[in-house]
Amino acid sequence: MIARVRISRLVATTCLVCTAAGSALAQDARLVQGDDPYFKQAQGQLQQVLTQQNNTNRAKNVILVVGDGLGFSTVTAARIFEGQQRGVDGESNVLSWEAFPHLAAAKTYSADAQITDSAPSAVAMTAGVKTINDVMGLDHTAKLDSCEDQKSKTVTTLWEMAETIGMSTGAVTTATITHATPGATYAHIANRDWESDAAMTPEAIAQGCADIARQLVEMKFGDGLEVALGGGRANFLPTTAADPEDEGKKGKRKDGKDLTQAWLSRYGNSGAFVWNKEQFDKLDPDNVDHVLGLFEMSHMEYDYDRPKDKAGEPSLAEMTDKAIDMLSKNPEGYVLLVEGGRVDHGSHAGNAYRTMTDAVALNEAVKTIMRKVDLNETLVVVTGDHSHTLTIAGYAKRGNPILGVSVGVDNEPILGMDGKPYTTVSFANGPGGQKGGQERRMLTMEEATDPDFIQQTLVPMQSETHGGEDLGIYAIGPWSHLFQGTVEENYTFHVMDFASKISERASQRADAP
Amino acid sequence: MAGLTRRWTALVMAAGCCLARPGLAAERIRIRDLYARGAEFSPQALALADKTVTVPGFMAPPLKPDASFFVLTKLPMAVCPFCDSELNWPNDIVLVRLAGQQDWVDFNQPILVTGTLSLGTEIDEETGFVSRVRLVDASYELA
Repeated sequence: MIARVRISRLVATTCLVCTAAGSALAQDARLVQGDDPYFKQAQGQLQQVLTQQNNTNRAKNVILVVGDGLGFSTVTAARIFEGQQRGVDGESNVLSWEAFPHLAAAKTYSADAQITDSAPSAVAMTAGVKTINDVMGLDHTAKLDSCEDQKSKTVTTLWEMAETIGMSTGAVTTATITHATPGATYAHIANRDWESDAAMTPEAIAQGCADIARQLVEMKFGDGLEVALGGGRANFLPTTAADPEDEGKKGKRKDGKDLTQAWLSRYGNSGAFVWNKEQFDKLDPDNVDHVLGLFEMSHMEYDYDRPKDKAGEPSLAEMTDKAIDMLSKNPEGYVLLVEGGRVDHGSHAGNAYRTMTDAVALNEAVKTIMRKVDLNETLVVVTGDHSHTLTIAGYAKRGNPILGVSVGVDNEPILGMDGKPYTTVSFANGPGGQKGGQERRMLTMEEATDPDFIQQTLVPMQSETHGGEDLGIYAIGPWSHLFQGTVEENYTFHVMDFASKISERASQRADAP
Repeated sequence: MAGLTRRWTALVMAAGCCLARPGLAAERIRIRDLYARGAEFSPQALALADKTVTVPGFMAPPLKPDASFFVLTKLPMAVCPFCDSELNWPNDIVLVRLAGQQDWVDFNQPILVTGTLSLGTEIDEETGFVSRVRLVDASYELA
């Protein structure tokens, strides 16, 4: 059947050529489509790629940008969403990292799971090895919840090695600063949920294992992170301490430690702790060498909800801006993680709107990076850590709202067999699924594009799940051309390390008499 | 688009018929529009205080099956707010006190709650639950 269709198309094409005059045929043999705007656009792209030259400088600085849950489909949807928000063509829009010259596809499976969670995927990128789900900073032989393995099966991260050779390091996120991705720059933990001691098992505490928040404040490599900005204040405050922002709420820590004070004690006059936008804005990078910023008790607000935050929060772009100002004071260079941590949370909630608005916030952060850094000496890598079940389905016309119901090129809504419209963007599972054979709900464009809309899904689940397909690694700067083809996720570490020679220099320093 | 085509018209009518419920008699306000910034109420919420309103949202898992109250959330929350750490809860939740017993629905079923909008901090005597916004004498229907 397929072969017959192909043959009839060939015949039709041939007949069109047959009816043309001889001179027209000759013209057709040249590029009659040469003035076609799509043709010219791609020609321009080709010419641009032909001028590219590999940058083989040593990367003085490395910035790893992780959109948590930023799979290819989420990037595509965000590209269209961001363009449509600005009133330009969404389909052909280009997000900041999509203009980077080099791209590889990452295989994200973990050492024990077909579909990874954020902890082992972060370890893959920060330490160069795959490990098991739910652990950070440990190798793949470690067992979940094993304090013994937490002590004996540690791997060393690029951030830790950078500290030992006098570079500056930082982690910026919209999730808790102790969450899987930022935590994997400095923590070694047998369970990613051990963000404070309150979440640990009594056995692990009795055996002397430290929680993630403590490991951040007590980081033993170099002088610890210079920049740690994100959410998760409750993990740093004791149960006896009233939260400064949320009236009536208190910290989580059961050991009585106030780790914000511990941070200030460690760094003295060169240290700072901030928890609101006003304090953040007043931070002078020239006078502060180590900043801990915790802007929420738990995760920071979604970017869509951020303007209504009680005490005010900086955006991811603003935190990135400040982080670069602080870290670039060091002539030895820096390693910085920037995470859009709540792209993932929007998808888990089945609320693609907030997935999109947080992806746009990540786009702004990358634009900030591109405005501030010198690409001759700074390697910038933008990637996800895993995908989600977000799909872009149907045959919607160009310009149809990406979060709307699908409307075809004939301007008619496209209906399912149940006579109801469906949204272009949906998830395979999540809170948008219905139990008990209930009928799929009728949808309107207004409802589907509402910021609080929950996408309809096939499988009802409390929380939408991660997706296991490959995702993009977009790179620019020194040695970024090493990102090509389909690679393992932990390959990212190896390029960042090769480009910066961090582990080599750390080894030389360790070997020095 | 020049006028509604037959397929659009059918869909608009279908959507309209599903929304034509008693709840629409009351003015509607969304949870995200209750607050201006932080715990400060929005002008829209203040204007509707002590009036009958309809609020769309989701029912968080109730504390117990025969409870006469539940928490209404902007987005589905699968975890019981009384059972989990309050830290993980959004600030913009609404306490719903029902006028009468109703069947519970799944946490992810969109509902419309109609009741009297009550604003200001209150501590529930029975549970100790602190609320900033309540819908009292309320009833709900499937959205």
